[in-house]
Amino acid sequence: MYDKTVRRRRVVLALLVVLSLILLTAYFGEAPSGSLHSVQRGFLTVISPIQDGANKALKPVRDLFGWFGDTLHAKSQNAQLRKQVDKLRREVVGERVDQQSYRELLGMFHLDNQLSVADYRPVTATVVGKSPNIWYSTVTIDKGTTAGVQVEDPVINDEGLVGKVTQAVADGAQVSLINDSSIGVSARLGATGATGIVQPKVGDPNDLLLQYLPANTPVNKGEYVFTSGTVASPDDSLYPRGIPIGQVTSIDEESAYKSVNVHPLANLRNLDVVQVLTAARGTLPARLSAVAASLPPGQRAGGETSAAGQLASTSGAGG
Amino acid sequence: MSGSGVSPGLLARIAALSVAIVFFQIGVVSEVPVFGVTVDLSPLLVAFVGLLCGSTLGAASGFAVGLLVDLALVQTLGLTSLVLTLVGYGCGRLRELRDPQAALTPLLVGAAAACAALVGYSLMQFMLGVDAPVSLELLRQIVLGVLVDAIVALPMWILVRRCLIGGLPDDPRRRRRRAYTTGGLSPLSRA
Repeated sequence: MYDKTVRRRRVVLALLVVLSLILLTAYFGEAPSGSLHSVQRGFLTVISPIQDGANKALKPVRDLFGWFGDTLHAKSQNAQLRKQVDKLRREVVGERVDQQSYRELLGMFHLDNQLSVADYRPVTATVVGKSPNIWYSTVTIDKGTTAGVQVEDPVINDEGLVGKVTQAVADGAQVSLINDSSIGVSARLGATGATGIVQPKVGDPNDLLLQYLPANTPVNKGEYVFTSGTVASPDDSLYPRGIPIGQVTSIDEESAYKSVNVHPLANLRNLDVVQVLTAARGTLPARLSAVAASLPPGQRAGGETSAAGQLASTSGAGG
Repeated sequence: MSGSGVSPGLLARIAALSVAIVFFQIGVVSEVPVFGVTVDLSPLLVAFVGLLCGSTLGAASGFAVGLLVDLALVQTLGLTSLVLTLVGYGCGRLRELRDPQAALTPLLVGAAAACAALVGYSLMQFMLGVDAPVSLELLRQIVLGVLVDAIVALPMWILVRRCLIGGLPDDPRRRRRRAYTTGGLSPLSRA
């Protein structure tokens, strides 16, 4: 009897471990259109409405817990933000002049439309689920393909870039955040216009790395980092140009390239409402963004204010 | 439990509790950071199911909870299942071999389960080729993760125990212990 129990216990363990390994190997090896991925998408389709309902029902509980944390956080942020406001006020004066020259340049290139987030057909969505794991920075939102959300669509909130859509079903989608190990965003520094790639600092959810900057690029602490609007080629823009990503916190000197630590502006740990920019690549806004991104750095000045400035206004409309 | 048959009632209780905890985790707990990390209830749930029901049910519930988490969060299928299966089995074996009864057992088991899950998960990620340094920040995240999981281990233990206790068969060892601590069986029970 005892032997039988021991044998059964071991068989069950071995069976479950082998099953896990088979799933792991098959999932890791197959393409995103494979059968296991389809099963996952099917499951997401089924649970999206449930998650949405549960999210609404449990919102008061979440808000209650969040209130304590937010209060403590707000106090420490207050002094920091006051300093920042003073600094930004001084910068705004300079930006106004740059903005004027930018408008003139747009006219020269016959780009009558001012680039803004509204041109990218933003769809406002609520975050209904989040991974607790430090290795996966993903959230689930309550809008899917029926609302026009597609895979690879950029996601923002009122603070800055949040991530991109990596899975989409009818009534829900999965968003990989900018601190997810699978994400790389083409970015540039606000002051110099030097471009690099923003990648997550895996294991540290509060930090990003702007890598591959030319070694002689002057970088200042506190400087803003924006999306550059290009990915592989100027015509293949994934993120609109000029969306704020983060602020430089420290600089790492390297031999051939410079990399800087960037603190994301969006509070990725406490996302509630986000906007998915659903305008497909190849549409007018995407083409405008690509053309604007191809302008020489000196002529681009002030460009980020158009998209970045819209974030605050869209947040007001979208919650 | 390990030798006897498992009642459908107990399986239903474990399944319902698992689904409820996973959805609560994804929808609420993950949204509330504590000390910069989020509490992960799934290793605690699996550990306590193992501690109450034995290694076989511990491993099975670990696999099921892991699969549910991976499916719901669109993560690599099988990864969480593998880690939680081993956590559930380990906690079940602890019960079968030692049957610890100290008041702090749930706290220690919860912390150990969280630690095993976090370290196991990180190791698996490294083995799968995620390009990340073993930084101090990563270690800090793991230590803080274990700490916050240990904080919620006792309430979680009470919840899991309360939900499953009605479905557990009366264990002869526990009956003996109860009889011993209450000064023997009552005349009514001897009758």
